[in-house]
Amino acid sequence: MTRSVRLAMGQALIEQRSFWRSAEYALFTFVFPLMILLLIGAANVGSYLPGTHIKNTTVFVPGILAFGVIVAAYVNLGSKVAVLRHDGVLKRIKTTPLPSAAYLGGLLASTVATAILLAAGTGLIGWLAFGALPRPGGLLALTGGLVLGIVCFGSLGLAISSVITSAESAGPVTYASFLPIAIISGVFDPTFGGLPAWLSHLVDLFPVKSLAQVLQNAYAVRPFPAWDLVNLGLWAAAGATFAVWRFRWHS
Amino acid sequence: MTDGVAVQVCDLRMSYGATQVLCGVDFEVRYGEVFCLLGPNGAGKTTTLEILEGFRRPTAGTVRVLGLDPAAQAARLRERAGMVLQECGFPRQARVAELIDLWRTYYPNPRPLEDLLEVVELAEARNTQVRKLSAGQRRRLDFALALAGDPDLVFLDEPTTGFDPEARRRCWAAIENLRRLGKTVLLTTHYLDEAERLADRIAILRAGRIELTGTTREVAVLGGLATRISFTTPAALRRGQIPLPAGIDLAVRGSESVCHSGNPGMTLRLLLDWALRHSLGDLDGLAVTAPSLEDTYLQLTGSGPGLSQAGGDRP
Repeated sequence: MTRSVRLAMGQALIEQRSFWRSAEYALFTFVFPLMILLLIGAANVGSYLPGTHIKNTTVFVPGILAFGVIVAAYVNLGSKVAVLRHDGVLKRIKTTPLPSAAYLGGLLASTVATAILLAAGTGLIGWLAFGALPRPGGLLALTGGLVLGIVCFGSLGLAISSVITSAESAGPVTYASFLPIAIISGVFDPTFGGLPAWLSHLVDLFPVKSLAQVLQNAYAVRPFPAWDLVNLGLWAAAGATFAVWRFRWHS
Repeated sequence: MTDGVAVQVCDLRMSYGATQVLCGVDFEVRYGEVFCLLGPNGAGKTTTLEILEGFRRPTAGTVRVLGLDPAAQAARLRERAGMVLQECGFPRQARVAELIDLWRTYYPNPRPLEDLLEVVELAEARNTQVRKLSAGQRRRLDFALALAGDPDLVFLDEPTTGFDPEARRRCWAAIENLRRLGKTVLLTTHYLDEAERLADRIAILRAGRIELTGTTREVAVLGGLATRISFTTPAALRRGQIPLPAGIDLAVRGSESVCHSGNPGMTLRLLLDWALRHSLGDLDGLAVTAPSLEDTYLQLTGSGPGLSQAGGDRP
């Protein structure tokens, strides 16, 4: 057991090293969300949600936190595993005595590390640039929400990796499958509204808005996000089930 | 070690649905030898290898690799057997030495890094990014990773398919190095020259059956082909001044005379007696050529002359 844990840690370190060495992953994962945070954040400084005393940025910053978690856990892990499978690296791993759990554990640990770093960067910039801080006592809710988000979107990432048929389409498929939902979920625009009712209900069913609302609850007091927590749990379970059912070591 | 046998395959059968891929394959690989499974595409070479590597469970038959049942004891087998699959990628951002070092951590008793780089002749490329390697270098990196755990046995599935001559030559040198390290090697190929050059023993696999097993020489002889004896046609024979030797099916083709014999000693004695009687000396240009693996292989796989033509003249 300890050997597996050691091997998984070694694998995670190697994954992190190659992540930071690769411009395509590191740049897109970190620069993209942080850039959006600064640009759109700047446009919302000093504004309040209509009819409230809640600053736009206290809703927008946790929205970008959610976006970062999704990029790190869903886009990154999903496309990474798809590329590894397509390139035959997963198949090669099966020729070694490395336990499958240690290898996958290493990949997941590296993903978690990336997500935590990105969340920390987003939170820090949100605080320093826009003064957005979790509400008093909201730190626990924030931590719990991040953990749930990483678990949910990590399992969805593993799930979608099994659907991707080529290394070239890995990035586009993962991005295209959540970016439109993120936009109509209002992640980039705190005042976003005016959707037709049916579309608004549909968006509520996806986990993107749920994660954003759970994290927004940690920054500004809002109704307890009971449905969102349940929704994230359901998507996590569905993603994990599909991932386990469809996981293949070769393409 | 079980009776000096590294790999034992008995009556191995494999079907995918209604298609029978292996129809009762038997062979043995001894410790320390380079054994080659030779056959055309689609003969079942890779399927056989994948069963031996523990990736597939056979439909029937028994298989022991290093005394283990590959399907049931895959983890233990992988600590002691290195596997080079036909096509297998590397992590995109890795560098050569770094990747080999990572692989070494997967095994209980890894070989030293420097040693591995030397065996596969990649010492100069140690800091090169994997994606910048040539096809031949990538294949040699495959070897290094397969050797990282210092295995007793190495599987190589069509190691040089699609390579240019220089890349093949360096690949072969790496395989020769494996032999020198005392590794048992089981390789598949559809290249005759590769089998002839590298293998201590060969099994010819065709349409899911082993046709012949033995050393290169044995396989050629077992193939039932005759030894070729040729010499420069003496002027007197060409002009019809002396009779053809009795008891030999000699074909005179202009400047060269050729016959094929299943008993070359006897044929040579008859020929030399005949030459002596007609004052032809020792027969200029006398050459005795053992039947080649190529002859046997081409005949077995149906793309060469059959047995009936063995006595005739062949190009």
